[in-house]
Amino acid sequence: MSRARGWLAASVLGVAVAAVALPGPVALAQGQGAPAQDWKKEFEEVCAKTQDAMALPLKELESLVARCDKLKPTIEKLDESQRKVYARRLKVCRDLYQFVIESRVKE
Amino acid sequence: MRRWVLFLAVSAVFAGSAFAEQPGSKKRRPLPPEFGRVIINNTSEKAGMAAVSFDHWYHRAKYTCRVCHVDVGFAMKPGATGIKAADNQAGFYCGACHNGKLVVDGRTVFESCGKALIGENRQACLRCHSVGKNVPPSIDFKAFTKNLPVGRLGNGVDWEKAEEAGLIKPSDFLEGVSIPRQPMTAQKDFALTAKLQGMPEIIFSHKKHTVWNGCELCHPEIFVGVKKGATKYSMVEIFDGKYCGACHVTVAFPLTDCGRCHTRPVQ
Repeated sequence: MSRARGWLAASVLGVAVAAVALPGPVALAQGQGAPAQDWKKEFEEVCAKTQDAMALPLKELESLVARCDKLKPTIEKLDESQRKVYARRLKVCRDLYQFVIESRVKE
Repeated sequence: MRRWVLFLAVSAVFAGSAFAEQPGSKKRRPLPPEFGRVIINNTSEKAGMAAVSFDHWYHRAKYTCRVCHVDVGFAMKPGATGIKAADNQAGFYCGACHNGKLVVDGRTVFESCGKALIGENRQACLRCHSVGKNVPPSIDFKAFTKNLPVGRLGNGVDWEKAEEAGLIKPSDFLEGVSIPRQPMTAQKDFALTAKLQGMPEIIFSHKKHTVWNGCELCHPEIFVGVKKGATKYSMVEIFDGKYCGACHVTVAFPLTDCGRCHTRPVQ
């Protein structure tokens, strides 16, 4: 009886340990491409509004500039080719939003 | 009448100044196929290769300026991009299209700087690394442009009319590179008063420019002024490649075609 209890306790403990320990490696394995997708998705969302920049409200433009600034350090950590391309692309779109903000303020 | 005489005289002076870059040296006016040619030599000669000769005319017929200079990320000044063979091999810059996979008008676009080409078949590299080499062009300029509307200068092609007539259809999207965008609402056209009395006013068309460039290609990198009238443009600076000259010295219709900008007769 006590032996069966011991097995049961060991099983419960094993399941508990697995539940705590497994999500780490599993998430890591799944996430190898995920951070890359995250920055690209964010980049595409932020820079997709350059067409409408002149029509966007000031608050939205300021929010877009802040998102560009937040994304910059991630892009600076990419490999050389990606970094060169996306740093320029991000700068071009960030500078446009800033340009529109300044033109609004000075109007 | 006197105004037109003055206009022609000023045009002649500027046209002359375009070819007299330095005292004692005469710059040869490029032939139509050479107009818009860019020589890229960041690393080529150091690596024992000829510099790259890039012709805008074929590329501009297929893609808008924005696809290459915003989406692909080419800088607006030659040499400023810092392209390396490794970038092309990784699918960036030239390699964004020249990957041996993309098909344009039924032709597979040749691979640039492909690892398979390096070493064994350097002849293939000569398609781009062609400065100082006698490489026959893979697309014949004369044949390509023979049915396009004639322009006075530059490539001898009126690219704007060619697009209006549907003879060229530059794409504004490159799969896997461009961000899908909503159609654009163009800003209003505006007039700029010429500094010289009697010179026709410039009518700047936002519509014509944004259709190929979007907003971010020009603002703020080329046109930094945020308030209309705050920046004073001079023809000397423009001929030196600033402002309008960023494109109209090298690729778009040349500045010597005065009447295409100075269009509104002075009232």
